[in-house]
Parts: sequence; structure tokens; C-alpha cells
Amino acid sequence: MKGFFDYVPGSSYLHRLNPLTKLLLALMICIAAFISANHLFLVMLIVLNLGIGAQAGIFTRSVMLLKGLLKLCIIIFLLQVLFIRDGNVLVKLPLNIFITDGGISSAFMVVFRLVTATMPLALMLSITQINDLSNVLVTKLRIPYPYAFALTTAIRFIPVFANEMTGIIEAQTSRGVQLDTRNIFKKIKLVLPLCVPLLITSVRKIEGSAISAELRGFHLRTKNSCYKKYAVNINDICVIMISVVIVGSAILVNSIF
Amino acid sequence: MIHIENLSFRYKNGRKPALDNISLTIHEGEFLGIIGGSGAGKTTLSYAINGVIPHHFPGDFYGSVKVANTDTFDTTPGRLSLKIGSVLQDIDSQMVSSVVEDEILYGLENFSVPGDEIEERLLSALEAVGILPLRYRAIDSLSGGQKQKVAIAAIIALRPKVLILDEPTSELDPKSSEQIFDLLKELNEKYGITIVVIEQKIMLLSEYVKKLAVMDKGRIILSGNVRDVLGHSSELEEIGIHCPRVVSLSNSLRDRGADVGGVWINLDEAEAGIRRLIYD
Ligand SMILES: Nc1ncnc2c1ncn2[C@@H]1O[C@H](COP(=O)(O)OP(=O)(O)O)[C@@H](O)[C@H]1O
Ligand SMILES: [Mg+2]
Repeated sequence: MKGFFDYVPGSSYLHRLNPLTKLLLALMICIAAFISANHLFLVMLIVLNLGIGAQAGIFTRSVMLLKGLLKLCIIIFLLQVLFIRDGNVLVKLPLNIFITDGGISSAFMVVFRLVTATMPLALMLSITQINDLSNVLVTKLRIPYPYAFALTTAIRFIPVFANEMTGIIEAQTSRGVQLDTRNIFKKIKLVLPLCVPLLITSVRKIEGSAISAELRGFHLRTKNSCYKKYAVNINDICVIMISVVIVGSAILVNSIF
Repeated sequence: MIHIENLSFRYKNGRKPALDNISLTIHEGEFLGIIGGSGAGKTTLSYAINGVIPHHFPGDFYGSVKVANTDTFDTTPGRLSLKIGSVLQDIDSQMVSSVVEDEILYGLENFSVPGDEIEERLLSALEAVGILPLRYRAIDSLSGGQKQKVAIAAIIALRPKVLILDEPTSELDPKSSEQIFDLLKELNEKYGITIVVIEQKIMLLSEYVKKLAVMDKGRIILSGNVRDVLGHSSELEEIGIHCPRVVSLSNSLRDRGADVGGVWINLDEAEAGIRRLIYD
């Protein structure tokens, strides 16, 4: 998890967009992914995600993200293949399990969708400063500041917790606890107790953050407190139009094929 | 400026009181150091001063804390923060932003500092702690010490009348620690800011602060001028605070009847004192 959500400074075209535009683009790609029922279109969206990563100078991170999703994808793929029985039977397995062409097709669809819908949010967070996001949510979308703060704090703490978890796992491993077992159930049984200390430190940290915000005038903040201005310029309009086109294409492709 | 009277506090889920009948007065313009082993109640005391206790942590609260004649019980930490700037112990949770610049801006924005003043305050705060080049860096990419400097800059930018810092140099190297204390000294002497600093490094503290309070098990067991407090090095030793050797030396000479003429707190003083003892 570490390193998928934390901000990567930069000055690329995408970095310089209005945070709302980036959020919109990410959401539109997600929506397109859920609407689309076309394998090729979904693959193209994945390529688009990678392209976005490349443009923003975080291509390696995008690839890592894909790799990170791979395990989950394989599990979901297998479940889909084994339990969906639509279409023609290709292979008959014991225990009354069938592998069908419909199952395979739908498995690919679900996996592609999962990837397409996960990547944009992670990429968006990588190139957007969390405070900018919170500021536009408050000033432009009129979301009450406490909610925006809660949301951005949660996002900000993901890498912190991931770090903490790595630390705990390392500490346990160095004490001889065998965590790298292949048996997934065994692993869950070993890792679960470690989540308790993680939960405790998490609560502590979030509490600390709330105190810190409070001690710097959290309650004094108003809609107009924000110092930076977030203009919408021609680049934003272009990207907004592209986002709409992406969703439109998803619908169009669905209706044609 | 800060007036604490018979303050006791027990956290809701704590067995023993974290603060046990504390009385302490901090005058305007004072530079006070608080020292004590871990778990002594230092952080809790700082929370009692900035209003986090009793407003954020529930528990049994007895006694009173007044800051600039306002009882902390009757106000909120948010309103108190206009007077008291707090640098917390846990640096990671102190941060509310992902970029250094935003971290400094946060309080300035909340306090409605006028736009044309913000940039200047931002720059001078970064400059004061020596992290101007870090302005656009991601906070995740900073070292613990750098984060500590960011946290301090974020509070200094708010220009509070009272500054309370909880172990602000715990992750800093000796040189940076001195740099921070030099800055605190300057704020104290030049702008008359009242400073309360919690610190484990007694050497560093005694060189800068004028007054010391020593905490153990929720109580203040010693307090007063630095030299008076350091005169009790064996009591300090008992609660795990190791005084500089010259301090212990002058105290044990004194206890054996030698006229050391006040505690020696650095090598120069020790040298002068020993010369006097030998030649007089
Ligand atoms: N949130 C809390 N809930 C319950 N007990 C606490 C809490 N925070 C601190 N304590 C307890 O209060 C005592 C004083 O802690 P603290 O003020 O953090 O000490 P110090 O800062 O001197 O290390 C300790 O015994 C600690 O375990
Ligand atoms: Mg503490």
C-alpha cells in the first residue's frame, strides 16, 4: 500500500489542473468503467490510466499499482471463472464445477473494471495536494469543512498506517514469527492479532491530528479562510470535456456492440 | 500569565492520576523548562495549559488553570490557541497537510491573517527555523528532525503570546537542537513571548531557560531558578535525570563542606570554581 496515495510533487500539465478537474476526471473514468460492458474499451481505459501516470511523471507508480492489484485480480478472476455458469461449458471439473465461456468473459470484465476503477483515484491523489482537495471541496462544492477534514485526514493517514503495519510485521518477523506462509488462512490468523496494536496507534494518531487541528484554529475556519485561489482555466475546460467524452464513449460503445 | 492551582487530573481510563495536585505560576515573559522521566505527566500538564484537557480528553479534573485571566474550563482549546501556540510531542499526528507550505498556511488561514501578510509570515517562519528550501517538499519525504522544524515553524508563524513545546528537539541532532533553542531565546528576549518547553536534555535546557520545573509521578517535585534546581542533583538522579558531571561534582563538594559558591553548570564555571578552591 505504501506509496500509492502520498503526494508526488511535480509541475506537469495534470499537476497544474484545478483539483476539482482532477477529481472529476478520476470519477468520470470510474463511472465509464462501471458503465462499459466492452472488454476492449476497458483495456483502453487502463491504457489511458497508464498514460495519465506517464504524463504526470508517475509511470512507475502506475505500474506498481497494477502489480499490487494483480493478486486481488487473480483471486476474483478464479472465483468468477469457477462459479459463473453462463454460456457454453468448456471444461467440466469434479465437484460439479463447470468452466464456461461466459464465466471467463465475465471474469475478465470484472477484473478489468476493478483495475480501471481503482487506478484513477490513486493517481489523482498522487498528484493532488490533500489541502488543495479539501479547500476546493469546501469552497467550490460547499462541503462543510469538518467533513472535508475528516476525508482528507483519512486519505493522508493511509501511507502512515501502511508504514506502521510494515514496522509491526518486521518486528514480529525478527522475533521469529513466520508471517510469509503461503497458506492464506494461516496468514490471516497470524496477521489479525497485529491489527490490534495498529488500531490503537491509529486511533492515537487520528486523535493527535484532531488535537493539532483544534490547536491551530480548526473551529475558526470559514469558507473564506483559504488563502490559495483555485482558478478554472482553459486547460481545465479541455479536461472536463475529455472526461465527458470518455463517459459518452462508454455509453456509445455499449449501444453499438 | 499562566496560573495553575491545585490541579489534579485522571484520564478516564487511567488508574492513577496523571497530574497530582499541581500548582505553578508562569509569569509573562518567562522562559520555563519542564523536565521529568517518561510518564511523569509532562504532556498531560501541557494539555492542561492549552485546554486540550479537560475539553478533549475526558477524565476527573480538579483545581483550576487560568491563562491570561481566562479559566481554561470556560473556553475552548480553539479560542485559547489564539494566545497559546502548541507544538505537540507526536510530530506525525501534528501534521495536517501533505506539503510543508500548506502546513504553515493552515493556522494562518484559520486565524484569518490578511492575505497580504500571509506570504511574509510564511517566509519568515520558514527562515527562522532554517527550512526555507523545504517550502514545496512533501511532508512524507522529510526526516523526523525536519518535520519537527516544520511543526515549530507552523506555530511560530501564528505569533502567539505564549509558546508551549513538548519535546521539540527529540529527533534533532545537537546542532539543530541548539538552533531551535537559540530561536526560542530570541523570541523570548526580543518579543517577550512566554515560553514553556518540555525537554529531556537537561544540559541544553539549563543553558537556555531561566526557570526549571521537575516532574515525577504527576507532581512537580522541584521548581525554581535553574541553579537552585540543579543544586538537588541527587534527587534528580533518583528519578532518572542525569545531571551534567560538573553539576554533580559541585554538589558533592558542597555536601562535603566545600564552599563552591553556587552550582557549576558548565566547564568554565567548574574550572574557575576549582581554581578558587585550590588557591584560596
Ligand atoms: N490518553 C490517555 N489515557 C489514559 N492514560 C494516559 C493517556 N495519556 C497519558 N496517560 C497516562 O498518563 C501518565 C502521564 O503521561 P504523559 O503526560 O504522556 O507523560 P510524559 O509526557 O511525561 O511522558 C502516564 O502514566 C500515561 O500512561
Ligand atoms: Mg510526553
